[in-house]
Amino acid sequence: MEFAWSPQDTAFRGELVDFLDTELTGAWHRSDGTGLGSAVYTDFSQKFVGKLADKGWLTPHWPTEYGGGGQGAWQHFVLGEEMWKRGEPRGPQYMNVNWVGPAIIKYGTDEQKQALLPPIARGEVFWCQGFSEPEAGTDLASLKTRAVRHGDEFVINGQKIWTSYANAADYCFLLARTGSTADGRNGISVFLLPMETPGVEVRRIDCLVGEHSFNEVFLTDVRLPTGALLGEENTGWNIVRRTLAYERVGAPRYARAALVLDGLAEWATDRDELADPGVQEQFGEARALCEAARVLVYRVIDERAKQKEPSPLAYQARAAMVQAERAVGDLALDVTGSEALVEHSLGDAQFRNSLGAGIAAGSYEVQLNLISRLILGMPKE
Amino acid sequence: MDFELSQTQRSILDALDTLLGRHAGVERCRKLASVEGYDHALERELRVADFFDLFDEDSVGPLGATLAVERIGANLGTIAAAAHLLVLPALGIAPREGTLALVQDGADRPVRFAAEATSILVAGPDRCTLSASTASTDAAVPSAYGFSLGRLGPADKELELAPGTAATMLNWWRVGASAEAVGMMQQALDIAVQYAKDRQTFRRAIGSFQALQHRLAELTILVEGARWLTYEAAFHNAPAEASATAAAHTIAALGRLTRETHQIMGAIGLTREHDLHLYTLRLQALRTELGGLRGHRRALVTARWGVPA
Repeated sequence: MEFAWSPQDTAFRGELVDFLDTELTGAWHRSDGTGLGSAVYTDFSQKFVGKLADKGWLTPHWPTEYGGGGQGAWQHFVLGEEMWKRGEPRGPQYMNVNWVGPAIIKYGTDEQKQALLPPIARGEVFWCQGFSEPEAGTDLASLKTRAVRHGDEFVINGQKIWTSYANAADYCFLLARTGSTADGRNGISVFLLPMETPGVEVRRIDCLVGEHSFNEVFLTDVRLPTGALLGEENTGWNIVRRTLAYERVGAPRYARAALVLDGLAEWATDRDELADPGVQEQFGEARALCEAARVLVYRVIDERAKQKEPSPLAYQARAAMVQAERAVGDLALDVTGSEALVEHSLGDAQFRNSLGAGIAAGSYEVQLNLISRLILGMPKE
Repeated sequence: MDFELSQTQRSILDALDTLLGRHAGVERCRKLASVEGYDHALERELRVADFFDLFDEDSVGPLGATLAVERIGANLGTIAAAAHLLVLPALGIAPREGTLALVQDGADRPVRFAAEATSILVAGPDRCTLSASTASTDAAVPSAYGFSLGRLGPADKELELAPGTAATMLNWWRVGASAEAVGMMQQALDIAVQYAKDRQTFRRAIGSFQALQHRLAELTILVEGARWLTYEAAFHNAPAEASATAAAHTIAALGRLTRETHQIMGAIGLTREHDLHLYTLRLQALRTELGGLRGHRRALVTARWGVPA
């Protein structure tokens, strides 16, 4: 057991920080308060990820044959941590890089790999995630969007919702039902859907969670060749379960929360308010929650670095991140008062982002259910 | 980064578990409670087996010693574990026999082991002293909380330690108290989890109710966070910020865990017949040390953002 960074990881982080300090000025600084991977900045992100790709830092953990750097799990993680500290300048790219690409690498045909992986590795495309539906969110296996085989085509009809970045995406990693509804999770398949396919319609949803963009995606008689199917028909649930297992900690949100907390401490120090014992206690509590989340996420990355099967420890880490984000969001309002109501202020961004923290990537309650069942071995209801 | 025990760490902890299985544990704790407030026999066994030297052993070091303190806590060892295994070696003070009380100057309150301490280590704002105790038995304070408690008498043969020692002492004490608490919290949590699986109401295990499942799941998140923050702080040699962070998170978890485990256990958890109280009571003693939750949180803020506590 040891908690020191390897010299390679330290060197990598140093080089990365220098690069980001140079690159993330001007336009990016404007977004300091606007929240995570804000879709407003997809133009910026598109140029930025190109530069990352040139450095080999967009897909450092992919195998080299698919345009990756062949680096380890820790370096990939260090990259994510530094990006989230800065508000995730890769924008929606982090999803492609973290799990869409790896899913295609693992389950894709040679044709799919050749066509789809290089543009991701070069940072040229955005993917969105077509999972949730109006009647299937937390209970994802009840999804109803249907894909029916007609000869060498699938015809897809249905609706997706809460689809982040669908307005800017080039492709959608789409879940649709190919079996009967009675099959539950055994009747679901993954489709790799170009967003420009006729029959795909995207509508923005106005949300109070920062300027993060949510969308509805309507699919009307969308025709896809059978070559757009990822993996075997009706095995989509397994593909998603495996490739998303690490994604619960793929976005190190505590890093952002900790950075906001530092900013709030600076604000309070300038006004002599951090000397107040009550204020100190609230800062102490929030900081400890950020740190606990960090160390629990590290524990999951350690498993990944050792190439172990994904374990339920990720659910604890995810839930700890939610607690940290909420604590910092609450503190922002309690400590900075009406300053936190000012649009794009540190407090505003953190509070509004924290409202969504326990909802994305599986609700907080689902994490608790899984901890209870898989870690504690509690009996089912 | 490596979150798994090394071979050396594993074999040392295995040996320690064997020793504690023989000389500590629930039965020993119950027996001791009626006769004396400090387990000199256990201290002797640990000393003879070199467990007080772990801190300075290259292959083990401060993290290994901290893991040992956690095990001693989990096994209800009634000794000044953090003082002997962490604080003394961290301050470069030669091992000494007998009860040792750790004191934060300025808090005129009862102190763990003070009534029977032979040595007293006091951390003041800018000095640290080691003295022989002048405590008499009438310094003892009655208390149900599992450790003997006493008020300090005037110091004798006071030895002033090097500048900066006070901070080191407080940091390691925070790590030690956290480690001891983590050991006990895990035991208390395991008891509540098992009870929730076994206990039937309305013809089903109470652990099948989501209302209880979620609360237990949240406890695991807090206890695991406390555990790994404590290990990490120990590995890095107890820096002020990391030590206070670990203690702040641990003591926050402790408060929540106490309430939840007892609520889940119902009236049986309040009996002396059941083991839960052994952990509950001792945990509250740890909870009050070093200024308690508020003290740890404010120490964290001072260390991180440089404002006076």
